[in-house]
Amino acid sequence: MTLNLKLVILLFSFLFIFVIFYILRKGRMPIKYALVWLFGLLVLLIISFIPGLMSTITKLLGFQTPSNMIFAMLIGILLFINIALTIIISGQNEKIRLLIQEVSMTKNDKKTDNNSKKGKK
Amino acid sequence: MKKETKILLIIPAYNEEENIEKTYSEIIKYNKKKNNHYDVIVINDGSKDKTEDILKLNNIPHINLIHNLGIGGAVQTGYKYALENDYDIAVQFDGDGQHDINYVKDMVKPIIDGKADFVIGSRFVKKISKFQTTHARRIGINIISFFIKLFTGKKIYDTTSGFRACNKDIIKMFANGYVTEYPEPITTVQVLKNKYRLEEIPVEMKERTGGVSSIHTWKNIYYMVNVILSIIVVSMRRYNK
Repeated sequence: MTLNLKLVILLFSFLFIFVIFYILRKGRMPIKYALVWLFGLLVLLIISFIPGLMSTITKLLGFQTPSNMIFAMLIGILLFINIALTIIISGQNEKIRLLIQEVSMTKNDKKTDNNSKKGKK
Repeated sequence: MKKETKILLIIPAYNEEENIEKTYSEIIKYNKKKNNHYDVIVINDGSKDKTEDILKLNNIPHINLIHNLGIGGAVQTGYKYALENDYDIAVQFDGDGQHDINYVKDMVKPIIDGKADFVIGSRFVKKISKFQTTHARRIGINIISFFIKLFTGKKIYDTTSGFRACNKDIIKMFANGYVTEYPEPITTVQVLKNKYRLEEIPVEMKERTGGVSSIHTWKNIYYMVNVILSIIVVSMRRYNK
């Protein structure tokens, strides 16, 4: 792997980590969501730090060049994060639905209700 | 002497200002005539028209959802209401004038007799309904029917019928978890997979008298793919019953 590529990855990773910590400090993202990103970047950093590791993995996995492997890795990490986000959004949808239902039902309880002549529990 | 069974009609309504009053007054008329009391709860799914005003003005029991949830979320609210107020049987009934109140008795009967847990009012059993449906819709219903048969072993003819009755166990199940998108075929699979007894009963349905149907033509392929996938996924889930 060329020194240039290594430098680019290092620079990119540190910049990204800096951005994430900046967001965290501002309190605009909880740590639990930042962890996924930090973990991905950590993997990237480790691979570029340990000499020879990148070329070995590249050969092992059958990629033509280390840069190709980096691309593939990044896509993999992004896919993983995207699926995680989809799960989080679905969970929130569920909670919002529950909230709407419960709030609407509570609001209704306060009004007079024709169905319950005997009075509710 | 047997305790009287409490029956609730759940009527989901989204922009039904033209129909809802008529639907309700027909139920009241029926109750009076037959000395019956079906309770009614209309779930107003965040309608943008005058549905809410009409509900208030006519003193129709209703729950206003503070935001539109879609048919599944609205109907589930009805099941939650049924559970909270201890109803024995809940009947899903459309607010747009498609369903006929006279058939509720037939649908509730197998549940009261303890012969079934879940009853679907079907246009296609015995074909007493003059209004069937469009050709394209019919093909879609048959495909869904085929997949339900494939995965549960039971032939359901009217898979998209929104005219359904269920007992307390299923009220509880639906209140705790209901499919929000295209609920009819999927909940049918859910019921069958939980080993509940299902019965399909012939009913007559009218063409909707006003308003717009919630299923649009251009969404049909998306709908089919979604439903078939959901049937497969729901069938693969494990049930402890």
